[in-house]
Amino acid sequence: MVTQEFQAIILAAGQGTRLPEVLADSPKCLLPIGPYPLIWYPLNMLQQHNFQEVIIVVLESERTEIQQTLERAPLKIKMDFVAIDSDSDFGTADSLRLIHDKIKSDFLVLSCDIVSNVSLFPLINKFRQHDAAMAALLFKSGFESDVTLPGPKTKHKPERDLIGIHPESDRLLFLASTSDFEEVMSVNAHLLRKNGKMTIFSRLVDSHIYVMKKWIIDFLLKKENFSTLKGEFLPYIIKKQMSKKSGSSVAAPDMHSEVGVNLKSENDIFHYASNSQLEQRIQKATLFNDSRVKEPYNGDLIRCYAVIAPKDSIGVRVNTTLSFFAINRKISNVWSQFFKEQEHALISSHAVINSTQTKEISVGDSAKLSEKTSLNFSVFGANCTINPKNIINKSIIMTSAIIEEGCNIENCIVGSRAVVKRGSVLKNCLIGPSYAVEEGTKKENQHLTNADGFMEIDIQ
Amino acid sequence: MNQFEKKEVIQAILIADNNVDQLRPFSDENSTALLPLVNVSMLDYALDALNRSGIEEVFVYSSLHLRSVREHIKNGIASLNSWSVNMTVHVIGGEGCRCFGDAMRDLDAKALIRGNFILLGADVVTNADLRPIFEQHKKTAKYDKGAAATLVFKEAATSSIRTGNEVMIAVDQQNNRLHHHQRLRLHGKESHFEVPLEVFLNNSEVALLHNLIDPQIAIGSPSMLSLFSDNFDFETRDDFVRGILINEEILDSRIYVSVLPRGQYARKVNNWLTYCMVSQDVMNRWAYPLVPDMGINCLAQQYVYLKNNIYKSRKSTFIKAALRENVAVQAGSQVEAGTSVSCSVIGKNCKVGKNCVLMNAFLMDGVHIGDDCKLDCCVVGFGSKIGAGSTIAEGTVVGSKCAIPAGKLLKNVVIKSVLGDDDDLVEKLGEHAFIIDDKQETQSTYASDSEDEVLPTAATGIPKVARVPTICEESDYTSSSDEDESRAVSPLVDDTNIFLAEVMDSLARGFQEKSNPDFLILEINSSRYAYNMSLKEVNFYVVKALFSLQDIKEPANQNVLVAINNVLKQLGPVLSNYIKTPDAMLQCLRALEDIYEENEFVRSKISKVVHYLYDKDFVSEDAIIAWYEQLDVEDHRALRQSLKELIEWLDQSSEEDEDDDEDESD
Repeated sequence: MVTQEFQAIILAAGQGTRLPEVLADSPKCLLPIGPYPLIWYPLNMLQQHNFQEVIIVVLESERTEIQQTLERAPLKIKMDFVAIDSDSDFGTADSLRLIHDKIKSDFLVLSCDIVSNVSLFPLINKFRQHDAAMAALLFKSGFESDVTLPGPKTKHKPERDLIGIHPESDRLLFLASTSDFEEVMSVNAHLLRKNGKMTIFSRLVDSHIYVMKKWIIDFLLKKENFSTLKGEFLPYIIKKQMSKKSGSSVAAPDMHSEVGVNLKSENDIFHYASNSQLEQRIQKATLFNDSRVKEPYNGDLIRCYAVIAPKDSIGVRVNTTLSFFAINRKISNVWSQFFKEQEHALISSHAVINSTQTKEISVGDSAKLSEKTSLNFSVFGANCTINPKNIINKSIIMTSAIIEEGCNIENCIVGSRAVVKRGSVLKNCLIGPSYAVEEGTKKENQHLTNADGFMEIDIQ
Repeated sequence: MNQFEKKEVIQAILIADNNVDQLRPFSDENSTALLPLVNVSMLDYALDALNRSGIEEVFVYSSLHLRSVREHIKNGIASLNSWSVNMTVHVIGGEGCRCFGDAMRDLDAKALIRGNFILLGADVVTNADLRPIFEQHKKTAKYDKGAAATLVFKEAATSSIRTGNEVMIAVDQQNNRLHHHQRLRLHGKESHFEVPLEVFLNNSEVALLHNLIDPQIAIGSPSMLSLFSDNFDFETRDDFVRGILINEEILDSRIYVSVLPRGQYARKVNNWLTYCMVSQDVMNRWAYPLVPDMGINCLAQQYVYLKNNIYKSRKSTFIKAALRENVAVQAGSQVEAGTSVSCSVIGKNCKVGKNCVLMNAFLMDGVHIGDDCKLDCCVVGFGSKIGAGSTIAEGTVVGSKCAIPAGKLLKNVVIKSVLGDDDDLVEKLGEHAFIIDDKQETQSTYASDSEDEVLPTAATGIPKVARVPTICEESDYTSSSDEDESRAVSPLVDDTNIFLAEVMDSLARGFQEKSNPDFLILEINSSRYAYNMSLKEVNFYVVKALFSLQDIKEPANQNVLVAINNVLKQLGPVLSNYIKTPDAMLQCLRALEDIYEENEFVRSKISKVVHYLYDKDFVSEDAIIAWYEQLDVEDHRALRQSLKELIEWLDQSSEEDEDDDEDESD
């Protein structure tokens, strides 16, 4: 077998803790986004970039369900499922550690919740061009800004990252969460002294698409204390870019014979990142230099880069109820930007559609949309039933939900297997899975659910 | 005709008399704006720069030496100075003006400024074209009515030495609005920069720009002057910037930023170090067209420009003297045989004797230097005489009309010819030469090594003339422990910490209630087994807990020794129960090492504390010496330093013991 330049990994073992209202008991990565499950989008993206194989990390308990669903989806890419124990609290870095023996080359890590039409080639090229240790793709945020979340009004304050990038070289210099600081943000002066300038972005979203060197896996394998990529490992490696390789290891790069020395250097990230002799020579010989006064890359061994997705591209991480709602609401609008040649249908051919008044809708398999209905800007999941005389606007009707006659539903999420009985008028409501809305209910801004178990956490 | 009248005349304000303190002793005698820099007074550079930017009306504001500035301008216009073409220059001033802010308030009161204006100090050397920035400011002001000023900055070389003009700023990438402004420290490096989080939350793209040179050039809106009037506590331009940034909403004003393109030069001369740097830059032609051979002052050619940046007046005489590089010699000067000159400026009618060495020496007009002198990094004022065989070096500044006797060695001093009222005399060299105190803590010259942060004193020494290092120093990464391996070390919420906490509780209670030490030992032992501590650890943590008692942490009357004595009177048996063997004693001292880091009272008295433990027989002499030898020379330099005497004393006493033994055996 020919080794590929890049292997692709999709991490799909997330629990979806930030969208409990819509999750029910199905895995997060199978949430419906338009006509397809969430995980189909990153898989399709990889397929479009000519990836032949992908490793998917899933939870043991959800494995069969995911596998079955994906077999039905239109995908050619070869999928290799790896399951992790459902009970263990596995972080993203832990997941990578688990599959270390499958990784033979540099790799691309994606989260299962990315819905995007951005090209990955600029990212990959940046990584290749600078022989980087890591490169990350960043999206502009604000996709959800014009969408009101159904349910009770909350002051939703999304977590924001502060991302520092060197404007001339695109080096990723700084990564922190705004919640790490209180009143003032403190920046290491060394960072500025060395780089002169740094642009800090506060409205970019980390896409959770990373290209990484193979040695990062080896390093993670040794350093078991890194549990997550984004939260722990990335800030670490970004900081490490700036520090110098300790003097001893420079002097003795090949002292692997002695056990004592070897042990010590294995703890050092530079042990993994070190250049081969050939690379060192190439770097000496090259005419390329990104710095005016010093050696290329300031002599940094580890280099992290960031690529900001173009403004007109779409990139959403579906990890909150709001983003889930937003992408579904807009999916039919932006569908043409995703798939230019109508290769994937928004409306399933197995759906029964008798309605004549529809606009920008997406319909799943075996959904039944009756006549005499007005259905606009909405998503209808598989097997859902819409009876006649209904008006549904800007809403998501999830799998197997039933809407009886004469309802008016606006800006709502109707959970899977939920039933909205005759004559209900719902606006800005969240209907939990399997909930039955009584006849003639008139509600606004409510969260209707069977499960009392949800802890109401008011994040101010 | 109508159009002609409406044509906007761009006005500029030049503030003379800045940095009065930093350019002593020259500033005591005349306006600093008239200080010659490569034989042209600084005011002329600034006026020339304005003229080249197409400014038509300039107000030179001077307070201290109004008359001499006025005379200079008058002479300049009379002699058809290059800036006098197409530009009207008014000299104005006020007696009561003590600072930059006062000048601005006075200008506001006089209502001479009609629209947007350019504001700069008379001490700026720049070849920047200010028109595009001016136009940009007008555009900004049209969009944002509260735009008070646009500040102009220049990127510095990657690692130039600090001159006090460097700043770190945070600017919105999208509209160039200034959000944070911080002057870089002159001495020593910052370890962190702190910027309000708000800045980043409210703006999506904020650029942090480090190591920008602030040449103190600004484009001001009319509101800038009234802001000074409204806020009478604004004394300097920095006060203005800070005030606006803090009270943006109240004052409804905003500041914008413009960074000069790479090819343009701008620098402020605010102390002797920058004086030296800018002189070199002018001779190196960085500020082109402001170079000596372009006739900045008068329209005549004054110099012949030779290779290696040598500017030589036709009317100067050289008798077998070597001019190496970057030298400007004015008319009527004479340099004798065997003298070598490099990186230096020689004014009009100077005489330099035989076999002298001049490096980074700046001689103003009429200076006489005797034979065999050595001048390195120094400034010599008008008409001064330096006796033969003298050495003047390391940033020495000699004022006007001094007469320095032969054979003197002067380093890093300020010399005046006449003692003023408020000068503090340090030493009298001769009838016309007094070393005066330059009103700052003596600090080694800036060039020596400012990176060496052994003594982080809060000294605010003014940089002196010094050789400008050409080698870039690598910024060293002094990572604090918390960020280097922060992830690697898991938080210590393990048994040892709980154990330590319990022992501390036991001891604190025992000490307060004066309970039987045996009970305490019993308690500690049971904790020990509960948390499965080794004996070694127990020894270590018991000592640590003992010294962490409230009484020792915050001793009454700050007297830690009394506190330790009190505690050990009560709890001594506990300590001696654990600290018995030499190994245990070593553990005990190691724990003390930790305490030393944590408790400042113990730190200051560490040798007394160790001595006390030795006196009371808790630790043996051997243990102390063994411990001392194990201390890392680098990491524990301070600790070793403070213990040194004690160790020496211990060594001596043990030798005496041995001597005694020998005596007895005889």
